[in-house]
Amino acid sequence: MVAEHEVESHEEAANDRVGFGFWVYLMTDLLMFAVLFAAFAVLRDSTAGGPGGQELFKLPFVLVETLILLTSSFTAGIGMLAAHRGIKSQVLTWFGLTFCLGLAFLGMELYEFAEFIHEGHTWQSSASLSSFFALVGTHGLHITSGLLWMGTALVFIWKRGLNAPLVRKLTLLSLFWHFLDIVWIFIFTVVYLMAFV
Amino acid sequence: MSKELHNTKANSESKHVSLTPYVVGFLLSLLFTFIPYYLVVNKALDGSTLLAAILGCAMVQLVIQVVFFLHLGREKKPHFNLVFLIGTIGTIAFIVIASIWIMGHLHHNMSATDVTDKIASDEAVHQVSGNQVGTCSGVGVNHKIELTNETVTPIHVDAKQCDTITLTNKSDATREIRFGTPEDPETYAGEKGETIRTGRNKIFTLTELGAHTFHDPINGISGDFTVQQ
Repeated sequence: MVAEHEVESHEEAANDRVGFGFWVYLMTDLLMFAVLFAAFAVLRDSTAGGPGGQELFKLPFVLVETLILLTSSFTAGIGMLAAHRGIKSQVLTWFGLTFCLGLAFLGMELYEFAEFIHEGHTWQSSASLSSFFALVGTHGLHITSGLLWMGTALVFIWKRGLNAPLVRKLTLLSLFWHFLDIVWIFIFTVVYLMAFV
Repeated sequence: MSKELHNTKANSESKHVSLTPYVVGFLLSLLFTFIPYYLVVNKALDGSTLLAAILGCAMVQLVIQVVFFLHLGREKKPHFNLVFLIGTIGTIAFIVIASIWIMGHLHHNMSATDVTDKIASDEAVHQVSGNQVGTCSGVGVNHKIELTNETVTPIHVDAKQCDTITLTNKSDATREIRFGTPEDPETYAGEKGETIRTGRNKIFTLTELGAHTFHDPINGISGDFTVQQ
């Protein structure tokens, strides 16, 4: 595994640059979420006479969503450990599990949206609901793109085995996944829990 | 982080990032998810204390995830990622707090209803729900009516079309002024009435002719005004 020293440090520096570049992307993404959070915080009470979060949200449902996403973040971390050790089967298992949990989370999020819309509470109902759908929906879109990314990465690993570029991609992917988990913690707190305070 | 695969330091590094931080991080995350959930569901604390507690838990959760899952600060110096994160959090705090602060003040000083009323009054165009209720170009005399806890002064106003009436709430509660009588409510210039907070006033333009009354269903005070050509 030990290649020539120069090539190594060269590649390492490249990895660092890619890692930092991706980090910069995550931080700008975080700023976008911040604006959506600010909009929600300002508009949350502008329900135009419709029901507020207290009537709409079901906390046990959201708690399950949160636990699923937290667990998926954990399994992604374990998968990363396996990737660093170069154990392909474990990588497929743990990231496969992460993928399923992510899918379950997305399903629950969409189910909640569908329920609101079915009851007539759409993003057109009030400024409060517009900002709710914008914030939570943007998170859902991120989850969706993370799942697509994870799915393709898993197919590549399954077909071609673990190699350095794939491990690097997985590193960035797990970073992205942990990041979405952190954003969700704030959605859980600010959007859902704070509605009941 | 993927340097472990190639680096000669690989063995020592992968021992460095072991299973332990993930397990610890996961358990702590669960703990700091259940604590705020429990507090909110059982209403264990009140109002602002509860708010501070759950926001505090979210911040602790953030630190836990950054330390145990993102392993930030482990990279070799300089810690660009960490510095960038702190800068971003600062910017976020600024955006969120400043938005809430400034919009809160704006809302306090002028709510959306106030803005609509102000525009309607400034333009003196009272077209509501598609019903043209008369327009005025230029403004006539302003008549002042004061609302107190017990009465309306003056109780009767004689005005000409396009004059204005200023209702001032001198009572110690919000007054819900409605046009017409409690038994027979009517609309004036397309409005059912005005909500006036303590110490505030509302101006409306007299576009409709005739004799009209207004009352407050809460404390029963009433008055009337006549508008002539």
